[in-house]
Amino acid sequence: MKPAAEPETFRLTIPSQTRYLNLVTGLAKRASMVAGLDDATASKVSIAVDEAVTNVILHAYQGSSDHWVDIELRFQAKALEIRIWHNGAGLRENEIALPDPGEYVRHPRKGGLGLLLMSRFMDEVHFKESPERSECCMIKRVT
Amino acid sequence: MADLSIQVRDMDGVAVMLPEGFVNAHTVRQFEEALEGLIQSGRYTILLDCQDLNYISSAGLGAIMGLIEPIRDKGGDILLCSLQKNVYAIFDTLGFTQLYQVFGTRDEALLALSRKAQ
Repeated sequence: MKPAAEPETFRLTIPSQTRYLNLVTGLAKRASMVAGLDDATASKVSIAVDEAVTNVILHAYQGSSDHWVDIELRFQAKALEIRIWHNGAGLRENEIALPDPGEYVRHPRKGGLGLLLMSRFMDEVHFKESPERSECCMIKRVT
Repeated sequence: MADLSIQVRDMDGVAVMLPEGFVNAHTVRQFEEALEGLIQSGRYTILLDCQDLNYISSAGLGAIMGLIEPIRDKGGDILLCSLQKNVYAIFDTLGFTQLYQVFGTRDEALLALSRKAQ
């Protein structure tokens, strides 16, 4: 039996600056379509990537522009896996409390919606923290 | 091409804002300043015509959310029209379509506003 082929993967490293967001989301959308997702789903993946990279730049690095953000796109047989790495302050998965959209509608306020969009638009979202780097992994399955 | 350009037009006494491009963390301040400018000049009924808005992230939604209360306190509102499918999906996913009136076209929105004013 042949060993399973390694998924095709490529990486992009950007400076921690919001001016590169459009470049990254454009890439995420195109990659989603290459992976076999339809246009509407690809748009949702690109938004999830925007939110994840924005979180890194604004929260993990607190807006500091002289760091890096690594983005890896991994084309699995039936899924697109996107990993985002940085060496700023990471999120702990067990401490994340997603806002309730119903509560937002009843009591409108600013902020806190990015993680909710990520979780709604992707099939899986995970955060890992290690001394070397922090990771956000998002998976969208191709159905 | 700029990531975002914004035009504002006066139509039947309504401030129609036409953002073109992307509202994300990079452009949100420009978007927020345009909305704030309208409020400062006493324009409290704002129609956000999204026909050329390619996407809006949570940063942009937060900007709208942050200004809606002062606008409604003045008797005004922010209405939305001509949303592209992916932009509608973002608003709808977060329940914003319950918070804001959404119209298919600008004409439908202006007609609804004119009827309300009568």
